[in-house]
Amino acid sequence: MVSLRKTFFVKARDFVHAGEASINIQNLLKSMNRDPKLIRRIGICSYEGEMNGVMHGGDTHIGFDMDSEQIVLEITDDGPGIEDIELAMQPGYSTASEEARELGFGAGMGLPNMKKNADRIIVESEKGRGTLVRMTFSLTAEEAGR
Amino acid sequence: MTSESSSTNFVRFHEDRCTGCAACMRVCPTKTIRIRQQKSIRFVDQCIGCGACVRVCPAGAVSAATRLPEGIGSDHIAIALVSPVLYAQFPHIMPGGVLMGLRQLGFHHTIDMSFFFEMFQYAAEEFIRRNRTARVAPWPLISPVCPVVVRLIAFQFPSLLPHILPVLRPVALMAREIEERVIPEYENRDIVLYYINPCPTKSQSPITLDSRSAKYREVAIGINDIYPVLKPQVERILTSDKMPFSWTHFEFETCSTADAAFGAMSGGEIARMDIENSLAVHGLKETYDYLNRIEMGLLKDMEYIEFRTCREGCLGGVLTVVDKYIAKRHVQKMVNVFGMGRRLPQDTLLRQFEKGRFKIDKSPEVLRKIFRPRKPTISLAEAKRIERIVASLGGRNCGACGAPDCQTFAEDVVLGQAELADCIWLAVHGLKRRSED
Repeated sequence: MVSLRKTFFVKARDFVHAGEASINIQNLLKSMNRDPKLIRRIGICSYEGEMNGVMHGGDTHIGFDMDSEQIVLEITDDGPGIEDIELAMQPGYSTASEEARELGFGAGMGLPNMKKNADRIIVESEKGRGTLVRMTFSLTAEEAGR
Repeated sequence: MTSESSSTNFVRFHEDRCTGCAACMRVCPTKTIRIRQQKSIRFVDQCIGCGACVRVCPAGAVSAATRLPEGIGSDHIAIALVSPVLYAQFPHIMPGGVLMGLRQLGFHHTIDMSFFFEMFQYAAEEFIRRNRTARVAPWPLISPVCPVVVRLIAFQFPSLLPHILPVLRPVALMAREIEERVIPEYENRDIVLYYINPCPTKSQSPITLDSRSAKYREVAIGINDIYPVLKPQVERILTSDKMPFSWTHFEFETCSTADAAFGAMSGGEIARMDIENSLAVHGLKETYDYLNRIEMGLLKDMEYIEFRTCREGCLGGVLTVVDKYIAKRHVQKMVNVFGMGRRLPQDTLLRQFEKGRFKIDKSPEVLRKIFRPRKPTISLAEAKRIERIVASLGGRNCGACGAPDCQTFAEDVVLGQAELADCIWLAVHGLKRRSED
């Protein structure tokens, strides 16, 4: 099966360049003429992932894997980790810094937004060891509608 | 298959004037321009009519597809549809004087677009107010006024089509009024509508004029085309009387307010609307950035965003004569001296709104069909080949191959529109890193 992999890197606290990976991924999907709603969902998820890394995590790697059936978006960072994942998944819960809030971020919607827009989401984290968020988007329903 | 031609709906290319500098290719926001055989540009797929290539070309080799026709009104009924940007080109005269100058040039009717702009502003404000409870459209709503923005969204941000405010644009309201009230006055006559525009976007957009009618012809004139002949007329008016009242048949044929061009400034659209959470963004790059942000789920706290791809809004249109900052000063001065005013009675507008007179009948799905992506769809396997080719190229985005950047070049190669051998970097550094499969 044909599969395509792209990787991106976002540096911790680099608010200026955060978002570029998302734009890159969206442009790729646009050139493939995929469903706009799917592009939007993936754009939101990758952007939230980038921002999570920039705000809390530290250096962040974004992996994009696509085959004919699904897209897997994997966001890993070497930041402080999430103490209580269930709590972090609650809308409005935030541990963002003053700096991030001043820039208009840190509303506590990151993980909830990802959960809402991805078909499946797995969050793994250990305090002091970083965080991994793996989101899966099914392409079969979209393919059927094409 | 991508088709190539030496003109688009909006711009024309003159090969004899081209020096091959490739400035147009680099500046094109939708990567529509390619250079073939050193100095011949070809347009592929999606021109949005932004005019960036016209603006940047030092040799005048790219021009707008507008012109000044001869014999205006000589053997036909000539109706001028006037963008208020035209008023801002003349600092010492009221808008009504400029319209009278047009009459002296042979136009039978001069339609003041700012009249319909005010109408639109009211309808937009009312829709947004109601949307707070009805929630029929997603925030932020995007202004439909700039046709370049609408095309940009359709081609490059299709997921944002539902965000375009579903209210008829000022130019569409104007066209309908003319069809309903002016045209019927001239049965069996040859009628020509002349759009006097600050930009090359014409009236091509299907959401501008829905029903193409055999009842009239349409011609687009740039403000820069008409300015040289209009200026002496306007100067004559400065020393004579105002337009006689008997000259006008319709309330929208003259303009007695000084603030007509205010709406042509960046921020002029939202300034008059009572919406707290609104934003005015101008400039091509800025528009791109903000559309990207909306697509990533940001700016949800905004209710309305006015986008103009030209700096300082329509005053900065590529076909204007007076520079945008000077023009802005003219407008501000007029407003300072004469103040702002409303011309249209609110209760009439509200009744029209209730009747659905401002509603656009095109859903986002229909719009998406009209503006189908014109670029060929890239398959997963092709995307993979493109990735590999990009990795083998120098990444300098030098443009020597005739494509604006390495990514676009690689796409062209995979789609059979270009040869890998066109890459000079590869030729110099050997083909050893070549990894084409």
